[in-house]
Formats: sequence, C-alpha cells, structure tokens
Amino acid sequence: MTIYSLWIFDRHCNCIFDREWTLKSNQASGTTNSKQNEDTAKLIYGMVFSLRSIAQKLSRNESRNEIRTIATGKYRAHILCTATGLWFVILSDLKQEDLSHVLRYIYSEIYVNYVANNWLGPIDFAETEQEKRGQGTRKITNRNFVRGIEQFLSPMVTR
Amino acid sequence: MAIQTVLIINKSGGLVYQRDFLASSTKLSSNDYLILAGTLQGVTAIASQVTPKALQISGSNLSKAANETEYSIPYAGPLGVKDQKEDMGSFLPPDYFTDSFASWSKSGLKHVTTDQFSLFLYQSMTGMKFVAISTQSSTSNMAVSFAENFLRKAYCLYADFVMKNPFYEPEMPIRCELFDKKLTEFVQHL
Repeated sequence: MTIYSLWIFDRHCNCIFDREWTLKSNQASGTTNSKQNEDTAKLIYGMVFSLRSIAQKLSRNESRNEIRTIATGKYRAHILCTATGLWFVILSDLKQEDLSHVLRYIYSEIYVNYVANNWLGPIDFAETEQEKRGQGTRKITNRNFVRGIEQFLSPMVTR
Repeated sequence: MAIQTVLIINKSGGLVYQRDFLASSTKLSSNDYLILAGTLQGVTAIASQVTPKALQISGSNLSKAANETEYSIPYAGPLGVKDQKEDMGSFLPPDYFTDSFASWSKSGLKHVTTDQFSLFLYQSMTGMKFVAISTQSSTSNMAVSFAENFLRKAYCLYADFVMKNPFYEPEMPIRCELFDKKLTEFVQHL
C-alpha cells in the first residue's frame, strides 16, 4: 500500500498544489509545490481532461458521468472532480483499488477547512487574465493545509 | 460484466473496428468513435510519461524475475467459449490458451473507470490496441485480468479471421463478416 503523489487543480487549468513522495521508506521525502513538477502536472491535467471528455461523451443518460480511476501498468490515478471545477488527483500503486473516500476527506475536511474557510487566503488562485488561461503558478502555501495533508497522507506512504 | 462496445485501434491511432453489442448504446456517431480512438492513443502515450518518481527510482534496481511475475496475467478460465465442440478457427479446443500470459503494455493505459462504465485496454506487441467498454463500473484488479483475458481472445479471433483474410489491407478498417460473427458469438457467451 503506497501512494506516490497528490495533485490539486483549479478550474483555470492550473495546478494549485502538488506533493510527491519519492521514497517509500521515508514519509518526509519528496517535494511540495515543486517547480520541477510543472510539466508533469500539465501531463496529468491533459490525461484527466481527455478521459473526462470521453466519459462525458459515452454517458448513457443526462446525469454527469465523472471519471474515477485511471490505471496503467505501473500506477493508478484516483480522481475527484468537484462541482466548482477543482480536481483532486492521487497517484497510488495498483493495489489501491478505490481511494475516493480519501479524496473526499481531503476535500471536505482539509481543503474546505483550511483553504476555503480561510479569510486571508485568496478566493481564486488566478488573478490576472493570463493566469486564468492555464498560465498561473500560484500554489496553496497555507501552513495548516500543508500540515493537514502531511498528517493525513503520510501514514499511507510507508505502509 | 456486460460488454457494451469493442473497438480496435491500429498502431497509428486510427479506429479500424467498432461494434456495439447493446441496443441501448448507439448514441455516438462513427466520427465520435474516431475521435475517441485518437484520444485514447494520445492518453496512452501521456500515461506512460507521468510515471511517479518513486517508481523511477525503485524501478531501476528491481530484479528481472520480480518484474516478470508482476506483469503476468492469470488465465481466467474458459471465458466466452461455450462448448468444446464449437469451431475455434485454427486454435485447438478446449480454449484459445490455457496458460497465464505476459502483458505487453508495461506502462501504458490499461483501465479507466467512471461512474457508469469501465474501459479496458489491451495492447499487442505490434501496437494494436483492443478496447472493451463494459457497462459495469468496477475498480477491482480482478476485472482487469478478466478483461485482458477476454481481449486476448478477441486478439486470437483477429489473428485468425482478419489477418488470414487475403482481401484485408493492413491498417485499414476491418470488414470481415466471419470476424464480426465470431466476435458477436463470443461476447454473447460471456
């Protein structure tokens, strides 16, 4: 049981938070909001976006058909799309069959508490027109949020 | 697991075969399916690019034997084969294959689940992609190995009734009645 990384995207196609663990044996390893991960974030966004549009095309009735997991031969991506256009993506190993409860917890208990309910934080992570078109690099740097994520997900990294 | 649609995508990302098996699912036009095939090809390429760093680090020192067992898919029993007397083309009964087999796509896309369906992808060594869309949304690893077994059998049918057809041009859309018939029978027996 391992998780590899967590990504959060906002509705302007920007990655607003990323956390990647690099060593299975060390919970503190890896990077948070790293500039090196920008390209990977774009690739993950593109992958989810394409498959999401396929899912919507193939849906049987009018109800929304959201994508849940994407598995490749090496890892599995778990996705939660909220109505406000936020995407939460976790990459894990193939033994994790469904982490939607984990994603829902991160959204409702950590994101909502420390980012959405924070009066000092921005309402929207894109300020200029340019940043609203996927060019933004603003990240969630809130200390409480980062600590909350760390406390909740770290035990899953080494297990 | 009810199979809704089977698609075959050639190595350059073009759709060569598409068939719906449920009457309720013919909503998309053939053009939409072409776009879908192209998108899947693109996503498969992207998916292998975003391999997590933890895997890149540990992957280099994994032993070869461990690698081989990880990508071997167990044989799932006589899926889709009704009885042993039926005509199996150039394959000998009781089944197309009876051993576990290796998966060719080690880092490409394999399985997508959404709220309403799941999509399975089997890749051959020559770059052909077999896609099955099932109406059941299941995230279990069991379903993936079942689907790979099913799609490998579809690949066996392809090898028999498409590749051995002298009128078939490689990489072009498949129009082989016998293949159609066999695949439909096969899906109905699932």
